[in-house]
Amino acid sequence: MRKANETVTTASTDPTIPPHRPAPANGGARLLAVGSGKGGVGKTFVTANLATALARLGKRVVVVDVDLDAANLHTFLGVPSPRRSLAEFVSEREEDLGKLLVDTPLPNLKLIGATHGNLADAQPSHLRRVRLVRGLRQLDADFVILDLGAGAHASVLDYFLVSDDGILVLQPEPTSVENAYSFLRAAFYRRMRLAMVGHGVRRLVTLAMDQRNERGIRTPLDLLREIEATDSAEAKRFVETMRVFRPKLIVNGARTAEDVKLGFAVRSVCKKYFGIDAEYLGYVNYDEEARRSVSRRRPIVDSNSDADVSIYLQRIARKLIGLPTTGTGATGDRVSAPIGRGSLGSALQRTSSSRPGDIGC
Amino acid sequence: MLGMEQVDHYDLLEIPRNATMADIERAYRLSQQTYGEGSLALYSIFESGEAAAIQERLDEAYKILSDPESRAVYDEDQPLPDAPASLRPWVDARSQEVSPAASPNEVATSSPDDDVEPYDAFEDEGGGDFDGIRLRRARLFRGYEIDEIADVTKVSRTHLRNIEDENFVDLPADVYVRGFVAAYATAIGLDPKIVVPSYMARVQESRSGNQRGRFLGRA
Repeated sequence: MRKANETVTTASTDPTIPPHRPAPANGGARLLAVGSGKGGVGKTFVTANLATALARLGKRVVVVDVDLDAANLHTFLGVPSPRRSLAEFVSEREEDLGKLLVDTPLPNLKLIGATHGNLADAQPSHLRRVRLVRGLRQLDADFVILDLGAGAHASVLDYFLVSDDGILVLQPEPTSVENAYSFLRAAFYRRMRLAMVGHGVRRLVTLAMDQRNERGIRTPLDLLREIEATDSAEAKRFVETMRVFRPKLIVNGARTAEDVKLGFAVRSVCKKYFGIDAEYLGYVNYDEEARRSVSRRRPIVDSNSDADVSIYLQRIARKLIGLPTTGTGATGDRVSAPIGRGSLGSALQRTSSSRPGDIGC
Repeated sequence: MLGMEQVDHYDLLEIPRNATMADIERAYRLSQQTYGEGSLALYSIFESGEAAAIQERLDEAYKILSDPESRAVYDEDQPLPDAPASLRPWVDARSQEVSPAASPNEVATSSPDDDVEPYDAFEDEGGGDFDGIRLRRARLFRGYEIDEIADVTKVSRTHLRNIEDENFVDLPADVYVRGFVAAYATAIGLDPKIVVPSYMARVQESRSGNQRGRFLGRA
């Protein structure tokens, strides 16, 4: 959850990244960014469905496809390739983001697509990104959700860091976990470098970003020790910045209880490796129905809100806005509903009967 | 990993200072899975030697905190949570809110704290109706073997299995089942006051149905 009252004095010189992301005091939109270290883990699927779930809860939501290289959020939402898109803003043909909003088939949910871009200049400049973020916060909406591109490009990291909530989607497979950590590592060091004031300490952070640096700084804690030895005020700032860097995690495609636990395990590793408090928002079970919903170009949360996968997605949406995670309003008690029906419930039962008590530990 | 050796046992297990024995057990189990060999969560971030070192530290923390006497001694010796800057990131904000003098035997709230154990919190919030499937699921998610529940509750494995499978015919008289279910629920961290009435309602419903069946059969 967003910590509205946390204040940290940092010295970011990058206007894209405020010292700390304040709660929009003027009632502006809450900015969420959904990223993944790797493509193909269901990031856009999760984005489209979370947006749908929030819209169904009565929130005014705008989803923005900032994946200019591989835009397809509109397809997930059943919107024909929009004529107006973020590309207009990037190429400075349009300054008013409100004019780029496109209706979706769902009430309360609007889209800024990323189609018809100029392939020669797909990524917005730094200044353009700053203006984009400012403009997005001013949109007349409760939530603005950014669907980030895959990977850990600087622009992707900036959107992730500048948002009120940075959400990382991962799948229970080594490639996804590896890239999720790469993403977190890159985001972490970028955030820390921006928070440091002194050139010497900044250089130290830059050095640490190279995993094979000659100083032998391998982990964030190693780096902190080095900074402490150099400048205690900077070390304090480093630690305070760590405290407010709280990425959120979603495990997508969970088939077993072990997959579900991955979120907790990654959270624990984040604590022990980075010293940061990641938050495990929840998991989404693997479901063929989800894949079919993509083919139908309609979010499953909308087309079949009682499907297990929809229940999990709606639960995450409720958690995001601080509502109780049970009782989605559709079928009452959600705690026990999925057992035995969904693939995860079945998996648990299978495991239970084959090796009692063994849930892949 | 550098610095790990200085981390407080509670922070290492990611539990508050007034954690109950059940909290400690749960946290240790989860940590064993997280830092055990082949854990997916370690992939590409911790090398096997580092993971082994963390595991060693976790074992040590568990050994001390799971024994009330050694835990009391440890708590006595603990410095106030005003650790040097380098350790601050490891110190859980939640543990700072708890007085270090809090008794380790102090019972935590019966409903799982979202922050302490969100896994449980969003899997089973402990309310509503309980059946055998839900009990088993709660046990599995907490990582307990049926043998461990049998050890703790002194209820035979067969009875526990029958409770989970709702094999009511093979269970003894209600008065015993009531005790078994209460012990089972307590062992897996659920509130017996909620679990027992709803489970026993199922038992009684089934039994009255069976008796009716037998009576009609004889007729």
